[in-house]
Amino acid sequence: MKSLSLYEDKQSFLNGLTPGCKAFYIIAALVIPAMLGNKLISIGFIVLSILLLTQSKVIRRTLPILAVSGFVLITVIIIQGLFRAGNETVVLDLGPVAFYKEGLIFAADIAINVLNIIFAFCVLVLTTKPSDIIESMVSRGFSPRIGYVFVSLFQLIPQMTERMSTITDAQRSRGMETEGSLLIRMKAFIPLISPVIMSSFIDTKERAIALEVRGFNSKEKKSFLNVFHANAASRPIYWILLIATVASVVWKLVMMFA
Amino acid sequence: MKNKNNNSPWSLKINTASLVLIPAAVGINYIGKLFAGMLKLPLWLDSIGTCLAAALAGPVVGAISGAINNIIYGVTMDPISTVYAFSQAGIGIVVGLMAYYGALKSLKGTLLTGIFGGAAAVVISTPLNIIFWGGTTGNLWGDLAYAAAVAKHFPLWQASTIDEIIVDIPDKIVVLLLVAALFKGLPKSLMSLYQSNHRIESLD
Amino acid sequence: MAEIKIENLKYRYPDTKELALDGITCDIKPGEFIGVIGRNGSGKSTFCQSLIGLVPNFYRGAYGGKVFIDDIEVRNVEVDELCQKVGMVFQNPFNQVTGSKLTVYEEIAFGLENFGIPRNEMKKRIDDALELLDIAKYRDRAPFDLSGGQMQRMAIASIIAMNPEIIVLDEPTSQLDPQGSEEVFKAVAKLSEKGITVIMVEHKIEKIAAYSDRIMLLDGGKLVAFDTPQEIFAREDLAEHGVVAPVYTRICKDLGLRVPGTDYYPVTLDEAHKLLACK
Repeated sequence: MKSLSLYEDKQSFLNGLTPGCKAFYIIAALVIPAMLGNKLISIGFIVLSILLLTQSKVIRRTLPILAVSGFVLITVIIIQGLFRAGNETVVLDLGPVAFYKEGLIFAADIAINVLNIIFAFCVLVLTTKPSDIIESMVSRGFSPRIGYVFVSLFQLIPQMTERMSTITDAQRSRGMETEGSLLIRMKAFIPLISPVIMSSFIDTKERAIALEVRGFNSKEKKSFLNVFHANAASRPIYWILLIATVASVVWKLVMMFA
Repeated sequence: MKNKNNNSPWSLKINTASLVLIPAAVGINYIGKLFAGMLKLPLWLDSIGTCLAAALAGPVVGAISGAINNIIYGVTMDPISTVYAFSQAGIGIVVGLMAYYGALKSLKGTLLTGIFGGAAAVVISTPLNIIFWGGTTGNLWGDLAYAAAVAKHFPLWQASTIDEIIVDIPDKIVVLLLVAALFKGLPKSLMSLYQSNHRIESLD
Repeated sequence: MAEIKIENLKYRYPDTKELALDGITCDIKPGEFIGVIGRNGSGKSTFCQSLIGLVPNFYRGAYGGKVFIDDIEVRNVEVDELCQKVGMVFQNPFNQVTGSKLTVYEEIAFGLENFGIPRNEMKKRIDDALELLDIAKYRDRAPFDLSGGQMQRMAIASIIAMNPEIIVLDEPTSQLDPQGSEEVFKAVAKLSEKGITVIMVEHKIEKIAAYSDRIMLLDGGKLVAFDTPQEIFAREDLAEHGVVAPVYTRICKDLGLRVPGTDYYPVTLDEAHKLLACK
């Protein structure tokens, strides 16, 4: 079955932590270094995330995600290394242009921050079923209707792309050009995407009534078929993260006013 | 001309018909982006769904579509794109409001909607670009402009704004032209479904 | 069991001029199997949706008359207050899949979760529905991986699990291949045997003739006739209303063969077969 979800059940330690606990890990990984203003702590979180992901046997799945941001990070390093205002100390002279120490340090800071976000996110999304995240939010009062929208997307998007590839094949077999000059490619875009858009929007009517007749707008308190079996470590870890995060914020406030 | 049903554009009561527009909108954004990549077009075209949903069901649905769109990107491909949920939501709000006041009925209005929608994205994205990426966008043409501006000693925020304008405004204009055309093509019977406080007339 | 009472029902969709339903009055008794026939645009779907309150509460528009399910007046309640009493299945099985569930088993749970049914009760009801619709073997499959007929039976199971007393099916086989249609018909027949009131819109006229206790013929939003299949298909004005009688009925009519002791022509294969065999 095609789903956009990156989740895999490996029966690992991270699989057994509650979604709330892992969500708080992301908050802690971003807030604590920001409060303490120390890049070493960010690096510490990156290492911790990598260790956790390796232990959960999903570290390889971070590669496609790293590739997306990696490309942008390279442009950041080039642009800041070459052009950043305040660049003074040449590190690498390439003749017409030169890389400067100040720009590269600035770029390195950005890279650390970005990598920290990516790995912390991966701790959650690679090891948690989307519906578990949403169900835990809904049971804490999050709108079940918006929750439905989130969860359904993981399957509805692949369904739509599948339908789209059918249309693409049909248009190609009728001799539509999808390669060539920019104008030709622009012209190809409209007949390709219009039928998918139209039918998706028209289908929404039937999907809406099909949901309504299954009690989608029911005012009863929802029950859940599946139960999440959290491991014993979830609760203490949650509290440690919470206390550490609050402590870092308090420390920052004290430093500001002291 | 205003919508004759006089729903407030800000109504937070979202009926089921409007709600299921959101997954359709996000799916279309996704497909637009995929196609633009496949055909190697120099535009993102990844907000067609958001803008169409906003035009049909108003700024609130537009904003939610935009935000959910980026959160889904965030958890499936690119975690950093989550923070740009704010920009997408901004586009949804602007397009939803413009459509509510009938802007998509004329070419001029459509172009203006594209420019305003793009401007909303620029205003919200630029600070985020500066915080997370030092001001660049990862788009080749935009970043070349950024590099040129920085090399000419423009302040960072100006260089970053120029970068984002190049990325967003032309894209949103093309998207809105498409959306206005599609909007006219959708069956009329769909439109009335999104008006949640339409009264039921009596035939007795 | 629930009784349906309809008094002078009128309805017009928003932004349209013509009435989609025009003065329908009828009663449906508990446990009946009602076929609904008529040309496209005759008001069949609109009629179906008026039984669960989608008309008028989902579409809005203009409404007159009354529809009662027992003593509940449909227009005064929300769809979610009625859908545990009246279930509804639509044409396109694909659009009835919620998309938020990973297995057939979980998909059927969707409606039950919305009503806060306790977990044990939920499991029991899902198991029963899977059994009844003969899809227990697909319980762990992904909903979108099913064939059309299987998917439609899953849609029916999702509704049946909510324990409705009435089930309304709007052309549930029109998008299915012959095998898939057959599976759905068999399933619906089982529901009827269980005592559930079935109201089914269907273009496959031979099927509807065989299963229905009574048939509603709609045209232009008006109820032209509501009678037994024999009475309906003996009518001379069917073509004017865009309907043709089952092929067996037409053959026997051409041959002048009536069911012995009655004024009717046969409406099912069995009846026709007996008559032709005698000959």
